[in-house]
Amino acid sequence: MPLARPERTVEDRLREEYFDLLPDIRRVVDELEAEVKHCLVPISLRLDKYERLVVTSRVKECESALDSLRGRQEGATFDSGRPELYSLDNLNDLAGVRVLAFPHSRLVEADRKLRERFQTWTADPVRGYDENDEPLALTYFGYCRASDRIRAEFQIVPMLTALFWEVEHSVIYKPSPSLKGVARSLEMQQRTRDVLKGLKAFEDEFANLIRRDPLAGKKKKKKRK
Amino acid sequence: MSRLTGTKTEILDGAGYAYSFDRQVYMNRKTKKAFSVEFVQDHSEDQIRKYIREHTDGLEWRFYFNLPPSEAVKHELECALG
Repeated sequence: MPLARPERTVEDRLREEYFDLLPDIRRVVDELEAEVKHCLVPISLRLDKYERLVVTSRVKECESALDSLRGRQEGATFDSGRPELYSLDNLNDLAGVRVLAFPHSRLVEADRKLRERFQTWTADPVRGYDENDEPLALTYFGYCRASDRIRAEFQIVPMLTALFWEVEHSVIYKPSPSLKGVARSLEMQQRTRDVLKGLKAFEDEFANLIRRDPLAGKKKKKKRK
Repeated sequence: MSRLTGTKTEILDGAGYAYSFDRQVYMNRKTKKAFSVEFVQDHSEDQIRKYIREHTDGLEWRFYFNLPPSEAVKHELECALG
């Protein structure tokens, strides 16, 4: 006698879709990382000792992808009566590459280079906290040659912000259950803004000093010879 | 995580609404009302105050969403919110 088959949830269907897409996601990550690194080689070769340009990549994990899609629904709830509404191909960042840059001038340069190379991709910057703030990160998404089934994303972030996010995301942005109270605290949100503003001020001041440093110019001239 | 103005959050906190991180709604078990983050973002502080004051019989949950939730979603939310 056949066993009764339990009803599949929206999450079950999405997990199946994820593992069907996974080989494509991996290929896309590999391609995008290689393309981005190749594109940035001319900048990397000219970096001063204090400057940084680091490229990282990641495949979005299955449960993270589900959470991301669920979080886009009002009430963060899937409609179990309409599973056909949901697909992971709606996500832009199943395959993701991040460029960490310091100082700001290198970030601008990297952004220019990458925009030239990925002209058809769509910009989707990470907004600052206030309307007039500069974006926290520059993000673009589109398709790679490796697959037309999933979109990929690359993000260019000030290195100091990216390193802060390494800690902040696990506490504020995607907290574990025991830390959800921290994430909701208005005071903590204010401290987060303060840190981001402080990091930006650090970068701005550094850029001012470098511009005014007469030795920085001489070193460059020597290198050119 | 969605960003909300402090004032709206304070209005909801002051009226006894707790934030459900999992469901991204502000909920009050006594009055059985739930406001989605999207709804709060898209409505003014005065409107939020008006909806908080709105009378309900308190027997069934009332969901203040931009898009009215389906029966299946309501059912799941009711189970989750308690």
